[in-house]
Amino acid sequence: MLPQFSYVRPETLKDTVKHLSAGGAAIHAGGTDLLGCLRDGIMDVDKVVSLSALHDLRGVKETADGGLIIGALTTITEVSENPMILKKYPCLAQGASEVASPQLRNQGTLGGNLCQKPRCWYYRGEFNCLRKGGDICYALGGEHQFHAIFGHDRICIITHPSDTAPPLAALAAKVRTMGPDGKRTLPVETFHVLPRKNPQVETVLKPGEVITYIELPRPAGNMRSSYRKVRARRSWDFALAGAAIALEMDGDRVIDGRVVLSGAAPVPWRAQSVENAIRGKTLDDATIKRAAQAVAEGADPLPENTYKLDLFKGVIEEELNAVR
Amino acid sequence: MCSEHRDNEGTGKQGMTRRGFMQIMGTGAVGASLSGAAMAAGSKPEPPAKILDATDTVKINLNINGVNHAVLVEPRWTLLYVLRETIGLTGTKEGCGRGECGACTVLIDDIPRYACMTLAVEAESRRITTVEGLMMGEELGPVQTAFLEEDAFQCGYCTSGQMMAVEGLLRKTLKPSMDKIRRGVSGNLCRCGAYNHIFRAASRAAGLKTK
Amino acid sequence: MAEDSNVYYTEGLPVPETPAPGDKPAFWKQTDVVGKRIPRVDAYERVSGTAVYPSDIKLPNMVYGAILRCPHPHAKVKKVDASRAKTMPGVRAVITGVSPKVKGLNWKYRNYTGPLFDSHCRFEGEVVAAVAADTRYQAWDAAHAIEVAYEVLPYVADYKEALSESAPKVHDGGNLAGMDEYERGDISRGFAEADAVLEETYETPCQIHTPMELHGCVANWDGDRLTIWESSQGVYAVQSNVAEVLGIPLSKVRVIGHYMGGGFGSKLKPGKYTVLASLLAKQAARPVKMILTREETYLCVGNRPANTMRLKAGVKSDGTLTAFEFECIGPSGAYPGGGTALVDWLVRDLYKCDNVRCRSKDVYINAGTARPFRAPGHPQGSWALEQMMDALAEKIGMNPVKLRLKNIPAISQGRSEPYTTTGLKACIERGAQQFGWKNALKRAKEQNQSASHIKRGVGMGACVWYVGGGGPPSTVIIKLFRDGSVNLNMGASDIGTGTKTVMALVTAEELGVKPEVIQIEHADTGTTQYATPSGGSKTVPTESPTVRNAAIDVKRQILEMAAEDLDVRTAELDYEGTEIVWRKDKSKRIRVTDVGRLKKRGVVVGVGYRGPNPRTKTVNPFGAQFCEVEVNTKTGEMRVLRFLGAHDSGRVLDRLTYDNQVFGGIVMGIGFGMTEFRQLDGKQTGKLCNRNWHDYKLPTALDVPVDMESLPIEIDDPEANNTGTKGLGEPVTIPTASAIANALYMATGIRFTNAPVSPMGMCRRLAARKEG
Ligand SMILES: Cc1cc2nc3c(=O)[nH]c(=O)nc-3n(C[C@H](O)[C@H](O)[C@H](O)COP(=O)(O)OP(=O)(O)OC[C@H]3O[C@@H](n4cnc5c(N)ncnc54)[C@H](O)[C@@H]3O)c2cc1C
Ligand code: SF4
Ligand code: FES
Ligand code: FES
Repeated sequence: MLPQFSYVRPETLKDTVKHLSAGGAAIHAGGTDLLGCLRDGIMDVDKVVSLSALHDLRGVKETADGGLIIGALTTITEVSENPMILKKYPCLAQGASEVASPQLRNQGTLGGNLCQKPRCWYYRGEFNCLRKGGDICYALGGEHQFHAIFGHDRICIITHPSDTAPPLAALAAKVRTMGPDGKRTLPVETFHVLPRKNPQVETVLKPGEVITYIELPRPAGNMRSSYRKVRARRSWDFALAGAAIALEMDGDRVIDGRVVLSGAAPVPWRAQSVENAIRGKTLDDATIKRAAQAVAEGADPLPENTYKLDLFKGVIEEELNAVR
Repeated sequence: MCSEHRDNEGTGKQGMTRRGFMQIMGTGAVGASLSGAAMAAGSKPEPPAKILDATDTVKINLNINGVNHAVLVEPRWTLLYVLRETIGLTGTKEGCGRGECGACTVLIDDIPRYACMTLAVEAESRRITTVEGLMMGEELGPVQTAFLEEDAFQCGYCTSGQMMAVEGLLRKTLKPSMDKIRRGVSGNLCRCGAYNHIFRAASRAAGLKTK
Repeated sequence: MAEDSNVYYTEGLPVPETPAPGDKPAFWKQTDVVGKRIPRVDAYERVSGTAVYPSDIKLPNMVYGAILRCPHPHAKVKKVDASRAKTMPGVRAVITGVSPKVKGLNWKYRNYTGPLFDSHCRFEGEVVAAVAADTRYQAWDAAHAIEVAYEVLPYVADYKEALSESAPKVHDGGNLAGMDEYERGDISRGFAEADAVLEETYETPCQIHTPMELHGCVANWDGDRLTIWESSQGVYAVQSNVAEVLGIPLSKVRVIGHYMGGGFGSKLKPGKYTVLASLLAKQAARPVKMILTREETYLCVGNRPANTMRLKAGVKSDGTLTAFEFECIGPSGAYPGGGTALVDWLVRDLYKCDNVRCRSKDVYINAGTARPFRAPGHPQGSWALEQMMDALAEKIGMNPVKLRLKNIPAISQGRSEPYTTTGLKACIERGAQQFGWKNALKRAKEQNQSASHIKRGVGMGACVWYVGGGGPPSTVIIKLFRDGSVNLNMGASDIGTGTKTVMALVTAEELGVKPEVIQIEHADTGTTQYATPSGGSKTVPTESPTVRNAAIDVKRQILEMAAEDLDVRTAELDYEGTEIVWRKDKSKRIRVTDVGRLKKRGVVVGVGYRGPNPRTKTVNPFGAQFCEVEVNTKTGEMRVLRFLGAHDSGRVLDRLTYDNQVFGGIVMGIGFGMTEFRQLDGKQTGKLCNRNWHDYKLPTALDVPVDMESLPIEIDDPEANNTGTKGLGEPVTIPTASAIANALYMATGIRFTNAPVSPMGMCRRLAARKEG
């Protein structure tokens, strides 16, 4: 059951920011994550500030320099079906199409997808864990087969739930925000927060700050990108392991590129070891093998999720084969 | 999970009247695309900051199956709750209340969504279609007819959600492939496992619709 | 109505002969309505949204109930303070363990009786207090504003540890809930005779029913009369349970359950919530709607217990099974719930084997109590036995289909009596043929020899279901109105299996009336006849013969009445649907609707009773399922490509609903084998980790194959009952998971002894193999 909250639907961004500045206020975009969080009692919210009157924040537009700008309220479905995104940034469209279920994609927004709360079953359940302000991480000593193998520092071992953030990070996208202190532009890559910095927040957004747009730079002419996601069931499920790959190619040779993992770490996880293994190389079997092996570098798997090491190897191998 | 605390700063409660609320709620147009001017966010005049208080009920208008319903709701009431418990349109079902089953699927502006994940106040001035809205008077609509003929259900509790998902799919895609059909109903659980007949019903419905 | 055509009848439809009073009806040689693909009689209501399920009920003045549950797996309630809750907006009634009205009220689990509000909470989710308020939201707010002081006790979550010395005791008497032993022949001799002996330990997870409609009810008092609309598999079971707990006469409790959104065994009985709703309704003096939340249903309305099974089997090189030794442990939960019930049945009964020993231990743990779940025990036992059969076949170099065919028992060995019919052989043989077993095998082998990392496998499993023959008691009434239309009155619930539809078809077959004009009254203790709950795959074989008897009773009465009109002897008359005809001179006939006494009385009431089952034979359904799977050996992803279910459940009454059951059983089996498991936080808190449909994963439309086939194996079974029907709903989910496991073995060479086989498990095993 949802707890009580007050509700407001401002018509301007300025107003929105003002409403959000009061403590206990939360943004409602599509509401698909927020309402679940409220039902599960994982955050104390007494005011819901709806963005749905901010029509300007919806839609996809080409920029003058050949990039794209996506309104934060654009639905995941719109992202997955937009012809420009399909054509120029296929990994983003694929990521979006792998999110949740059709209905949730129809309702959930890109901004919301980036800001959604983690799906750790302790966090969402009746456990007062570290991320909720408690003393311990239950997953660490408990049931963590779905949890992270990278970047958790054994503090909080969530995996970042978003399927759109890894492609966006791989594409070097940026988020534009508006807050009490004005506007900011931040790379998606550094948008999420590692537990070692602060295990109780997921993003660098400050109180009252709203994502307004997501900016995609113009892709290199010979960019190949793809997103692949493995999960326990084929719909409505977060990644066990996934990878967004965006490579600038010269024929068979990788000039440069990014590989960002989902289901891996508390943030979308840049697999630099893989990038290093392919940069400047021709994507042949041997390179792909080496790159796949490299994905495990720096991993800190736990007893129940060691399987992810092999899973990621498999995913990287398949993905690189798919783009070559 | 109960929150007894009331916000006391910045809510501007004193100025709140129902009419005032209606003014800020009564936005009409949807889906405006980005324009250069709009990109400079916050360029419109600001309406007064007014909040619907947590304990207030407010009158909203819901357009359901072409009929306008004026209902009193609390901000936290979901569209599902209002449909079923306030208005009495119980064809839409609740299986989980958390976006994980699809029994509550309705169309909002022709697009399938979960009514349990939609606040009633958010559904104002949108076009809501429920299973009851698929009927043509006493007669079943094509999707319903197809579900009947293919025996696309067992207990029938997921069925209206399944049909709304298929209806939404067919409003978007006239002749969906089997792949599209399966994806189209992949946000609707059927614990009875009638999926196979549901797939067939969806194909048949596509045929009936284009006939 | 037109004179010469009765719109309610199918003209010219031959109807079965009417047996003389005292005689048994003849077996239907051929049927005209029964067995066809006929949409459900209540399909319109279900697809139009007009069907009213218990959760849809709204009564004037109705308020909403909510329950506060113990958050600990093991605790004692020290103090409950509801003073704040009572003053909250909208609150109409509050009940806690110290409310005077609940003193002395008890709740029963099988052979265990304890207080309705037990201050000793033995599982997470035990009831502590309940509230009724004007809205569901307010009720929830108030329930959670009740302050409770608990003394938290040590818990036991791991059933395998439950019997160890150090395990906390769930009950004073210890954690052993029950033991069962069975033996026939001499297993040591059997193993000595074997050419090959294999032994393996298997594990299956705890599975939760999670039917789509939430558990719950609406309760309303009119003075001392209580009416309950409950989402239930059996209204009479709810009636007797509630009457007993509240200490009121059965006649004062009316339970209605016209529609219900699935149960799978979890709604065979009411829950404490039913009683709480009734108590709240009394206190609030208003109707109370009490629908659990999805999260609650993971805690307290049953489960299929997890099981660990050790199976040792001996086989001769010619395929003769020489011995089975089976041991099993499983948890009832906090109270007796059948933690190992029927897990060993397939080992005892499915394949011919002279020397068998089975032992099981049912234990208590601090978690929700088990309830019967579609084919209790069987999918677990099948997981062990059917994988073992394949392993044995491989060991002796025999085709697994052949090994099974070699060991078809002539009689039910578990009961030492013959089956009325057994389709086991036909299911395996014809199923394999229709599936194209040989070709599929070849295809898989070819693919697996190729360099591709996508591997393929085919697998099968067979089954018998412990019961499935139905039996008394059951009473059904059929009313024939003077215009020829018919009303069928039975107490059974239609839980989605199509009970109403097939009973209408049986009536139609016997009377010649059109199925769609049959009005059905059912599942209401106030107005319909006694029936046992719909479960155990017994509804069709229990109710359909009863319906047929009721129809025959109608015909007999009409014949008697017509004899008066025609002035001939009753025994010389034939009932021909629309007309009664004198056998000696066919021109002497009278339309049913012209029969004088019917016209005058307005209605003929036929009563049918369920006769006894055969005394010395057992009635069981059989089946075999076949599947083809694909495994991505790089990612552990699996795809079920196709499935075929060949099932012998006697006569098919409606092919459409029959196939639907087969497919549904397979889907549930896919869940059991591949996606579903309850996860307790055993090491730290004993609380449940996955209490929603996201964390507890059911198969979706993308997880099941489009290519599914149902092959009914219809064998005339006149001895079983007068419709020749056997149950179908449970056997269809028994061999699914084991067939998948066998196919996965062929694809990967890995034996998956632990269910479910998820991509996580697949990855682990593939990695282990690489290292090993
Ligand atoms: C059952 C289920 C399964 C799911 N499976 C997947 C999956 O497989 N992959 C996946 O990626 N996602 C998955 N999701 C998450 C889903 O995609 C998100 O709920 C959705 O994208 C969130 O968008 P929204 O607009 O509804 O966000 P909301 O619920 O409105 O908001 C989510 C959060 O973001 C904040 N927020 C929203 N918009 C902004 C903004 N513009 N600026 C700042 N903060 C903002 C809100 O305050 C809130 O905390 C699943 C969700 C559910 C319920
Ligand atoms: S992983 Fe993070 S969210 Fe999960 S229990 Fe640990 S601290 Fe909490
Ligand atoms: S009730 Fe809305 S998705 Fe389950
Ligand atoms: S028909 Fe019962 S859940 Fe789909």
